[in-house]
Parts: sequence; C-alpha cells; structure tokens
Amino acid sequence: MAAVESLPPGTPSAMRNAFGTVLSALILVLIGVLAFSIRLFSVIKYESVIHEFDPYFNYRVTQFLSKNGIYEFWNWFDDRTWYPLGRVIGGTVYPGLTLTAGTIWWVLNAINIPLSVETVCVFTAPVFSAFASWATYLLTKEVKGSGAGLAAAALLAMVPSYISRSVAGSYDNEAVAIFALIFTFYLYIKTLNTGSLFYATLNAIAYFYMVCSWGGYTFIINLIPMHVLLCIVTGRYSPRLYIAYAPLVVLGTLLAALVPVVGFNAVLTSEHFASFLVFIIIHVVALVYYIKGILTPKMFKVAVTLVVSIGLVVCLIVVAVLVALVASSPTGGWSGRSLSLLDPTYASKYIPIIASVSEHQPPTWPSYFMDINVLAFLVPAGIIACFSPLSDASSFVVLYIVMSVYFSGVMVRLMLVLAPAACIMSGIALSQAFDVFTGSIKYQLSSKSKDDAEDNTSTKNAPKDDASSGKADKGEEVAKERLSKKGKKKEREPAEKPSVKSKIVKKKALVLPLEASIVALLLLIMLGAFYVIHCVWAAAEAYSAPSIVLTSQSHDGLHVFDDFRESYAWLSHNTDVDDKVASWWDYGYQTTAMANRTVIVDNNTWNNTHIATVGTAMSSPEKAAWEIFNSLDVKYVLVVFGGVIGYPSDDINKFLWMVRIGGGEFPHIKEADYLRDGQYRIDSEATPTMLNCLMYKLCYYRFVETDGKGYDRVRRTEIGKKHFKLTHFEEVFTSHHWMVRIYKLKPQKNRIRGRVKKLKQKTTSGVSSKSVKKNPWM
Amino acid sequence: MTMAINKKLLSLVLLVSSLSSIASASFSDPDSDSDLTNELVSLRSNSESGVIHLDDHGISKFLISSPTPRPYSILVFFDATQLHSKTELRLQELRREFGLVSATFLANNNGSDLNKLFFCEIEFSRSQSSFQRFGVNALPHIRLVTASTAKLSDESGQMDQSDFARLAESMAEFVEQRTKLTVGPIQRPPFLSKAQISVIVAMIVIATPFVIKRILRGETLLHDHRLWLSGAIFIYFFSVAGTMHNIIRKMPMFLQDRNDPNKLVFFYQGSGMQLGAEGFAVGFLYTVVGLLLAFVTNVLVRVRNLNVQRLVMLVALVVSSWAVKQVVYLDNWKTGYGIHPYWPSSWQ
Repeated sequence: MAAVESLPPGTPSAMRNAFGTVLSALILVLIGVLAFSIRLFSVIKYESVIHEFDPYFNYRVTQFLSKNGIYEFWNWFDDRTWYPLGRVIGGTVYPGLTLTAGTIWWVLNAINIPLSVETVCVFTAPVFSAFASWATYLLTKEVKGSGAGLAAAALLAMVPSYISRSVAGSYDNEAVAIFALIFTFYLYIKTLNTGSLFYATLNAIAYFYMVCSWGGYTFIINLIPMHVLLCIVTGRYSPRLYIAYAPLVVLGTLLAALVPVVGFNAVLTSEHFASFLVFIIIHVVALVYYIKGILTPKMFKVAVTLVVSIGLVVCLIVVAVLVALVASSPTGGWSGRSLSLLDPTYASKYIPIIASVSEHQPPTWPSYFMDINVLAFLVPAGIIACFSPLSDASSFVVLYIVMSVYFSGVMVRLMLVLAPAACIMSGIALSQAFDVFTGSIKYQLSSKSKDDAEDNTSTKNAPKDDASSGKADKGEEVAKERLSKKGKKKEREPAEKPSVKSKIVKKKALVLPLEASIVALLLLIMLGAFYVIHCVWAAAEAYSAPSIVLTSQSHDGLHVFDDFRESYAWLSHNTDVDDKVASWWDYGYQTTAMANRTVIVDNNTWNNTHIATVGTAMSSPEKAAWEIFNSLDVKYVLVVFGGVIGYPSDDINKFLWMVRIGGGEFPHIKEADYLRDGQYRIDSEATPTMLNCLMYKLCYYRFVETDGKGYDRVRRTEIGKKHFKLTHFEEVFTSHHWMVRIYKLKPQKNRIRGRVKKLKQKTTSGVSSKSVKKNPWM
Repeated sequence: MTMAINKKLLSLVLLVSSLSSIASASFSDPDSDSDLTNELVSLRSNSESGVIHLDDHGISKFLISSPTPRPYSILVFFDATQLHSKTELRLQELRREFGLVSATFLANNNGSDLNKLFFCEIEFSRSQSSFQRFGVNALPHIRLVTASTAKLSDESGQMDQSDFARLAESMAEFVEQRTKLTVGPIQRPPFLSKAQISVIVAMIVIATPFVIKRILRGETLLHDHRLWLSGAIFIYFFSVAGTMHNIIRKMPMFLQDRNDPNKLVFFYQGSGMQLGAEGFAVGFLYTVVGLLLAFVTNVLVRVRNLNVQRLVMLVALVVSSWAVKQVVYLDNWKTGYGIHPYWPSSWQ
C-alpha cells in the first residue's frame, strides 16, 4: 500500500512528493487494468456474449438506439412484448446504461473504430469498474488520505460482490450505477470539505446520471439527507454542509424529474420525502445560525424561542401534509421493494413476485464471506479509525457502511451497495495498520543506528492518524501541514477544537515492538493474499458463467450445453415473425432479443395479472391452458427442462412460484393442490393436479423415451406419470439436451367434431370447464 | 285377570314410552337442536373473542349426546396450561391466533352462517377424559368436528402442522376449506391503540422544544462519539451475523439432532440456511478481528511498557488468525466450495 503524502512545494521533499504523485498515478493505472482484466474470465472461458436475462433486454434497447437514434428510442413503443398490451420502452427504462453504451459506440465509430454494438455492450461493465475503483480512490482520499485511497481502490477493483455484477457480458444497470453511486458520494464529500458551489453543481449532475442509471438512486437521496440530519443533530452544522446539500436537493430533484421513468415520482413518492424534510430543517437551522451571528447572546435567547416555535409550526404543517399524502396512496406511497426493506417480512407475505426472485432473499453469513471475503474482518477496524478523529467526511462513510450493511442483511442483492463501503472501510483499516506496523519497524531500525533521544523529539509530533509512514525526517513537516489544515478546520468546526489540541499534546513515540510488528505485517499480507486468491477464484469460477451457455466438467471431458441459443435460433428460423411465444417470464427478454418473437410476459414484471395469467395457464390442465393461451393468440409454448442433464434452475423447480403467483390473482389455483403433505414432488406420490397440469405434461412428455425409466436427474426420482399423450399441444422442437422444449398449440377442431369429442370426454373422464369444477381429477 | 291385563298394559306403555324416547334421541329433534345452538350462542357471547371454554360435561352435551347431523360444527383447540412453559410448542401464541380467527369470524358473519360454527377450547387438566375421547396425545392440536362427524376419535378433522404454520391466516383457510363458511381477512388489533398513539404524539410534541434546546446547547447523548461507535459496530455485527435472515425465516437458535435427540446441532450444513447460534458465532468471529486490529493500532501504540505490548500483540495475533482460520474452515465446510489459487502450469 504505497502511502503517498502530499507535501507543500519548495521543500526538500518536493522531489519525493512529485515521485509520490507519479507513483500513485501509476498504481491507479494498474488498479484500472486489474479491475478491467479480472472481469475478462467470462470472455476467455466462454466467448464474448451477453449474459443472463436482463442484459439481453438492455442489449436489444441499445441496438435499437444505435440504429434509430435517440428520439426514436425516447418514443419507442415495443409491441413485441407483453402481448397484447405492449410496453412503452422509452418511458419505462432507466436510460443511463443504454445511453452510455450507445455514446461509446457512436464515438468509437466516429473515430473509425468499427466495433459492433454487442462488443461495446459486453465490455461496458469492465470499463466502468475501472472508473469505479478510481472514484473509490477519490472518495477515500477525501476521507482519510491517499494511502487509504489507494488501498480501497485496489480492494474495490477485485471485490467479488461487484465482480458478480460487472463481468464482461453482464450488461446491466448496476454495471454503470455503482460507479455513479461512488462518484456522487465523492462529489458530496468534496463539496462538504471545500464548500465549493462548483462541486455542488457537479454533484447534482452526478446524481442525475445515477438516477438515469438505476432505481437504487433512492439509496443516495435517503443516505445524504440522513447524514445532513446527523451532522445537524450532533452540532456539526456549517455553511459547507448547506452548500453540499441544498443545491443537490433542488437541482437533483429537478434533474431527476426529467428522467421519464422517474418523472413526478421524484416529488410524489415517500422514498423522496426524507430529503425534503431535511431540506426544510437545514433552512431552519441555517436561519438560527444566521440570527445567532447578528444578535447579542441575550437577544439570541429570545430569538431562539421565537424561531424554534415558528420552525416547529412549519415542520408540523409539512409533516401533516406528508402524512396525508402518504395515507392517500394505496401502498402508503412506498414501492414494494422499498417497503420490504423497512419491514423485511412484507414481501414474503404480500408480493410473491418480489419474494420469488432469489436476489431478494436475506443472506446468511457465508454470503458475506463469499461476497466481501476478508473485508468482513477489517471493516470494524475501519469504523473505529473513522471515529479517531470523527470528521464530516468520515461520519458520512460510517453512516454509509451502517446503512448498507443493514440493508444487505435484508436483501442479498444490496450486497452490491455494501461492497464499496466495505472496501473503503477496509482500505482505511489496512492503511492505518500498515502505517503503524511499518512505522514501528522503521523507527526501531533507524533508532538502532541513531541515538534514542533525538528520535523522541522528532517523532513526538508524528500524527498517528495520518497516512504517512511516519518517517523521522518527514514527521515535523507533516505535522505542520496537518496543523495548518486543522487550523482551517478549527474555524469551521468549533466542536472539534479541544480533542485535536489534546491529541497533539499527548502524542508520544507511537511504536509497537519490532518483532511483533513484523509478524503482524506478515499476517496482514497473508490476509491480503488470501483475498486476492479468493477474488480471482470467484471471478474465474463462480461469476464468469454466462448462464446462456452452460458447461460441465466430467471425467470424459468438457460438455457444452448450448441449448438456449439453439432453440431461440430455431424459433427465429422456423416460425412466423409475428407468432406469439408463451413462456415463464424469465425467458421473455431472451426470446425477444435472440429470437425476435413476441412474448406474453418478460422480466420487467410490471403487470402482475398478466404474469398470473401465464402462471395459471401453466398450472391448469391441458384444455384450460389451451383456452387461456388461445385467447392470448399464443402459437408456441416454450418450457425449460433440466431433468435430462441435471440443470436445476428449470421450470419444474420454478413451478411452485407460478402456482403461487397465479393463485394470487385466480383463486381457483391453490398451492395445496400441488403439494402432497406439504411437499413438492413429481414422483408417483405427486397429487393428480400436479401430474395433470400443463407444466408437468410439457416437461415430461416423451421423457420416458430417454432412458426407459423416466428418471429425473434434478429431482433425483422417477417421475410419477410416464406414458401420456397430449391432446391440445404438439411437440415441435426439443433441443439437443432436452433443455428447451417448444410446443405448438393444436388448431381448433371443427365445431361438430369438437362437440362430439367434448361430449365423449365428458362421459369418460368428466372434464368440465374450470369455472364449474376446479379440479376435475381430484 | 285384570291384573294380568294391567301388567301387560303397563309394560306396553313402558315399551312405547321407551321407544319414543329412543326415537327422539336418534332422529334429530329441531327443538332440542335449536336449544343447543342457543346455549352455545349465549356461551359464546359471554366469552372473550367468542372462544367457548368447554369441559367434559360440555363436550358430552354438545358433541357426544347431540345426534348427527348437528346443526353446527365445532372447532376445538386443545390446550394444556402445564405445557405453556414449553415455548417450542407455541401453545399460547396459537391460542391467541385461534382467538383472532374466532373474533374475525364473528365480525364478518351475521345471520344463519354465524351459528354454524363455534370456536371452543378444552383444557387438559380439567377435561382429561375428553382428550382421551378425542384420542389427542400430542399438542398443539386443533380439530374440527363437523356437523356429520359421529365418532370423536375420527381424526379427519385434524388441522395439519402446515395449516397453522402461517398462524391465523392459514387457520382461516383451513376453516374455509372444510366448512365452506367464510372467515374473511384476519383483523389483527393494531399494535398501538388510538388513545396510546395520541398520548405518544402529545408527549413528542411537548418534548420537542426541550429536546431542541438541548441539541442547540450540544449536550445530548447524541454528542457522545462512543455511543455512535458502539452502535455502528453493533449494527455491523448484527447484519453480518445474518440475524435478519433468522428473523425473516424464523430460524431457531439450534436444532435437535435427528439421530441422537440428546445432541444439539448448532451448525447447519448448506449455504441457503443458517441457525441462530451459528450466525452469532460467526458474526462474533467477523467482528473480533477488526476490533483487535483497531485496539492494537489505536490503543496499544500508546502503551509505554514493551512487554505488555508484546504480550497483548501475541494474544491479538493468535486470536485473529484463529478466528480467520475458523471462518475459512466453516465456510468451506458449509458451502462446499473449493477455493484454490491458480499457479502457473509449469510449477506443477
């Protein structure tokens, strides 16, 4: 952790200072290269493809943008999805990522570098992780000096939690949003430290970029007001705080309202109310400070009572208005995802569609070890370092880590927001520890050659909390510079005055025993090495799989399962361009992007009823399902089935969620009908409802022909019903490893025949329409 | 002769009267039915949240001696005061939820449906024979005696574990499924009553000026850095221990070993789940290393005595490396990941 200290020019150390600047710039470049290259495992191990689900949608939007231009994109109504409703893409996406990648593509093409849109999309995330680590350097430098900054940047460059969302090909909002988040925080802290309106304006623009990029911007617009409130309550109010906050709220809210997907939400939903409340409070406080400045203490006492009572009345009125506003909206003005953060049990009780997503589950302790690894050990030391001494900037990062660590405990997805905070804290802790240990070693090695007495005087003033390594010759100047800095701060923060003074007086030779320091240093380096090993392993093994191409290593070599692309290609080559394909929502984005076919539902889960309709169809018996699908003009039904090769995240494993979501809207679907004694099973013990639902039939149709027994390798059991025929669907395509199966809806029969057949069925199996009898097979 | 006739007549009268009494017992008599129902209604109106407390006598009166089909169903909650101390049975909690279902049923129904279902409880110490008659030997137990249930030991009306897993909501679902009556959405009493809320609001309003005054003077607890520091560390510990997971999923602190009931399982293998004690143990390990590091770099450097420094550092280093090793070991054991470095192939 090369600790570099900035010294005033013109001193003998100016040369060293310049050297330090160059060195830290070089280190930053290397950190950028590291951040970029550690994310390339997915391209090297697989190929340069877009990953997973959401990125395919973003890719499709970017393609549209690069082909048709920004105005077309803004007004784009997409009729290929949510059939028959369609979706207004321009007004419902966070455009930041798309516009960023589109701009990069446009610039590259303008300077005659002909990269394809796909390549630009694949590499956007790694490039922005390099930016994010530089932003981390800037932020941490503002808090605890450049040594801590470099350490934090290096840690962030390879933190697994962030890698998981930003490997090459993972073209999702978070890829640029984390950079925007850190950079917004940096500009806030910078404004807070300098009190400059220039940075305040930049801060509002960075916030605008964040709002464009990710719904997680609400974290910023709640965290910063909380910090402001904290500063006010603990008596840290200053004009700098006002400059850092007031422009951000005004400009930031105006800019946020420009983003179509946010629009008037920026002033109407409860997530933003905290910022307005604090905006009022800071004005009241500013007024109090102003009056305090122009009045004598005695007059002030009178004025305080006046101002406080007026301020109180204003606050009460505003609170009453807010309460009324909140009460008038159905969910209290809160969106479901935010509510489930405040009341963690909310989503699991009321919104199955949020509860069903695995990244909304609460994490267990191994998740922390997987995602931030040894940083989990270092964070407490970082928190304590931030408290000695506590400044405006360090109190902000403490608040940041506390909030993010709590929220990550509720929802594993927010581990991503925790990761930068953990890196900053660990960077501070590591830098401080290295300072102390290397300082002790250096001091004692040099004191062996020198006399003790001399050293005591020179290190008396060496500041312990500084990022310098406490060199004997440098100590005095450093302390002087610090003193002048503190002097400046003294004017701003009267509260800090006594503590700083006493600390400087008390300073002693702060050293630890030589041999113990060496051992501790070695152990810290080992800890860091373990972190590197873990991160590289995580990047290479855990997070590099694109999930669109699967591989498995077995004793007879590497197997590649490319069934998804095979089937989407089949769809695009063998079906009519206007055919509608029904599948569970997970595969909606991929179908539209890769097969260019219209889907009923997709991963943008905005219409619960529509999803519930598909869920109901999948959980209904064949005929009822055929009627539902036919009413939606569906021609093909696509199911994902992993029973042949043992692919666990297939539709049978997701099926209970289809039942739950379907049952939420259509009560005749009951989860209990699909469970035998509370257990979900597909073997011979399964309930008749389960064995006759569409999903079971489409997945296991002809399955017994693969091995003669019908042994499902995911559920590790033989299936319950092996030989059956389909009456309303016909198989048209099954991929190489049976992972994707596509069925066509049989055309409607002639009326007469149909009626005869219906009658026949009625007498034989007692089929009747679902509204009369819910469950004909019970 | 007359005597003989008289005797015959008497026996005939006796026979007829006994026959008629048998008939009245076996063929349901609308009058006695409505009597029973009325009695139950009056009992219900006198009891809290409409749960009727029955004893052996009541059971035999309303369920055993009354002929089937009865005009009402009865949902019986089996309680035992002596088992209230065993918290894992959750008897008191379930009893409260049972009361909620009953109160909701009363609130949402009127007219004829109201008297088709009665919520009752029987207590073990006072009605042991009823427990035997029902064949109940394990609690918690909730049984629905439908109108047509003839034998009390018929267990088809038993509520499954899964039916009260989600407390009142799932109990209501069970009742709705079995009886075809509607219970309606469960109405839970608000956390704070209106009077309490208004008192609290009034207190806050009164207290605000004083609080603001103290804040302006800068002498509240909030100005104490140590408080903030310990709060921050605590929240960190709380979160990395996965406590939110335990709260949301209602995980127990530890489990009993299935193979050996005397052994307790503190650590659960498999990364999707964790036990309470396990989380706290690892959370402690996570936190202690950072605290020791901070102690060494912030406090120990000020100590003048070299030997004290050596000793404390030795302890700190040993404890820290032990904690890190433990976490790495536990993580590998729990998740089964094989984390390995990548050496150049020429080195192997």
